[in-house]
Amino acid sequence: MTDALEILRHDVRAWLAAEAPKDWRATCTTHDGFLATQRGWFAKLAAGGYAVPHWPAEWPGGGRSLAEQKVIYEELARADTPRLMLSFMSTYHAASTLFEWGSPEQQARYIPRILDGEIWCQGFSEPNAGSDLAGVRTRAERVSRDGRDVYVVSGQKLWSTMGQFADQCLLLVRTSTEGAKQAGLTYLLLDLKAKGVTARPIHQIHGDEEFAELFLDEVEVPVADRLGEEGQGWAVAQSTLASERGLTLLELSARMRGASWRIADLIRASGREDDAGIVRDFGRLTTKIDATCALADQFLANRIAGEERVGDASLVKLSYSRTLRAFTSLGLRIGGLEAQYHEPIVFGGGMETGNWMADFMNSYAWTIAGGSDEVQRNIISERLIGMPREPKTWTLEAAR
Amino acid sequence: MSMTRSELQDAARQAFGEGGLAPDAGRSWASIAEMGWLMMTVPEAQGGLDLGRDAAGVIHTELGRALVPGPMIAQMLVISALSAADDFPERDDLLTRAMAGEVMTASLARGEKLDCVPDADGASHVLVVSPSRVALVPLDGATINARDTWDKTRRLFDVAPVGEGFTLARGDAAIALSDRMDAQLLFAISGDSLGGAAAILELTIDYLKLRHQFGRPLALFQALKHRVADMKTWLSAAEALFWARAVDPAATLVEIGALKAHACDVYRAIAEDAIQLHGGIGLTMEYHCHLFLKRATLNAVLGGDGDHWDERAGRMALEVAV
Repeated sequence: MTDALEILRHDVRAWLAAEAPKDWRATCTTHDGFLATQRGWFAKLAAGGYAVPHWPAEWPGGGRSLAEQKVIYEELARADTPRLMLSFMSTYHAASTLFEWGSPEQQARYIPRILDGEIWCQGFSEPNAGSDLAGVRTRAERVSRDGRDVYVVSGQKLWSTMGQFADQCLLLVRTSTEGAKQAGLTYLLLDLKAKGVTARPIHQIHGDEEFAELFLDEVEVPVADRLGEEGQGWAVAQSTLASERGLTLLELSARMRGASWRIADLIRASGREDDAGIVRDFGRLTTKIDATCALADQFLANRIAGEERVGDASLVKLSYSRTLRAFTSLGLRIGGLEAQYHEPIVFGGGMETGNWMADFMNSYAWTIAGGSDEVQRNIISERLIGMPREPKTWTLEAAR
Repeated sequence: MSMTRSELQDAARQAFGEGGLAPDAGRSWASIAEMGWLMMTVPEAQGGLDLGRDAAGVIHTELGRALVPGPMIAQMLVISALSAADDFPERDDLLTRAMAGEVMTASLARGEKLDCVPDADGASHVLVVSPSRVALVPLDGATINARDTWDKTRRLFDVAPVGEGFTLARGDAAIALSDRMDAQLLFAISGDSLGGAAAILELTIDYLKLRHQFGRPLALFQALKHRVADMKTWLSAAEALFWARAVDPAATLVEIGALKAHACDVYRAIAEDAIQLHGGIGLTMEYHCHLFLKRATLNAVLGGDGDHWDERAGRMALEVAV
């Protein structure tokens, strides 16, 4: 660790000591409290120059190296600040896709608004396009209306994180049914206030509403709000999905390690310090968490050195998701009957809130979302290890 | 360290990677001494190479990969103990002889009993550790009983030496030295285990690609691929932890013990499933799968088992998180 990084760590820690919100979970028992906490903390981070360290240097707060970003995220995790869930899609998915594919006009129009707190969501998944994303069916037809060039979009989108609170949407649509499934996709930037858009929150099994479904009924999107060319949507979407593989898992792993005290507290509170089986399982878990953190660290070091391999990110995600399941599962087990009595959740409270049944159910967020564990296993076995790929076609005839 | 990790790894693979698994014990020991690995962690002032724990990590990993037999781990314990000992007239001579390959051995089990001592029948001395004293005792006149282990890559003996031998440390220094020996032993077994796990995983993947059933390679079946992907993930995370703790001077004995327990869990799980994935051939003595399974299960109990170290790690985490 160089001196410059140590100075940065010192600066961030001092800034957080003064600025980090205290007892914020208490205010996040309602959606309004959650939104106020998230918006307030993002504005503070943006003003302090720590909201978008991964952006290019020409933007305020941007231009941080990966090593510097790591320091910032470690300190944010250490101070147990609210994770930026509301603006996550905006500063990562939307911004990085705009940086890579946006025209200068599009960048000048949208990027500053993100820094001002505009919220983006992602409109990729559909009822019949989950892990198999290329099966998107939402239709967009290009027409001229009243002298304006627009796409008219109709369809349904699912699992839009924070979609019910968002202002804008990264939208993947089908403009052609010719040729390969991927070749008929186009990428649009949708204003969610446009006529014909309905956003409805999805009620999750643990009581949260982190996702929405979007219904699009003949919604007009100006052609000027297309990212990339018509038919290039698959390639643009890959940039969006790649942005998810940033330092998120490093931050989440650090937060999981930082939350181990919750299980320690639980063991003490339930009087099971002398239960060797429980203590062993806790010990085994802490080592698994340490291993996941070490893997995330090594992943970052390899990326900095330009030695990242295809599939490395999947190793980190799978290691994290399974370890998070083990963490919440152990909490639920030790929590016993007490954990079976319903407690209202804390919105945006993180993956480890000590509301064990809720935390356990919420851990599926990481084994299913962002490429399910099964998709990660395919990537690891086929692309990292080099086992042969699944045949592309499947018919009833062949199965007989 | 003057040699990078990958240079050292290349040298080790050249020495052991091509000679097949579980190579000849005598020739392996001669190569180990010739390559200077026995003097690897000894300070230059004492005639060593002064390489760090990560260098030792590379060597133990590579020996584990190739299932190299011999008393390397025990010998390294003796060498470290001699190197750290208070000076006494015979010390430099003993250290020089040990670094040159004269076998001096030590128990690989936890506790004071001198069982589980590798290659004691050909050794000149044995390390004797008690809470009040660490000593190196000549094996002249000692009672040495061979134990027939399932793992034929290790030859273990119960030893009862005669006499007091040379004192290496007493009192608090003995406790500190004994903890250091424990950490070194656990770290070495971790490396051996992760090297073995990586090797049998690669061999299993090769086999799945090669073997055809139902008109296609086994490697095409998703049910098998996903098992392999899980193994690769757990192994990668355990390896990352191993190298992180290798270069962390603040790593505690319990942290190294927890690493050892985890590395052995991963090795055992991979070696166990490797036989299942190989099918019938995995159950034959001619094929290599069983060698890994046997070494994995032995490693799991050396230096204290998973139950012991997981519990201590849990206790430590409870204390930290007050």
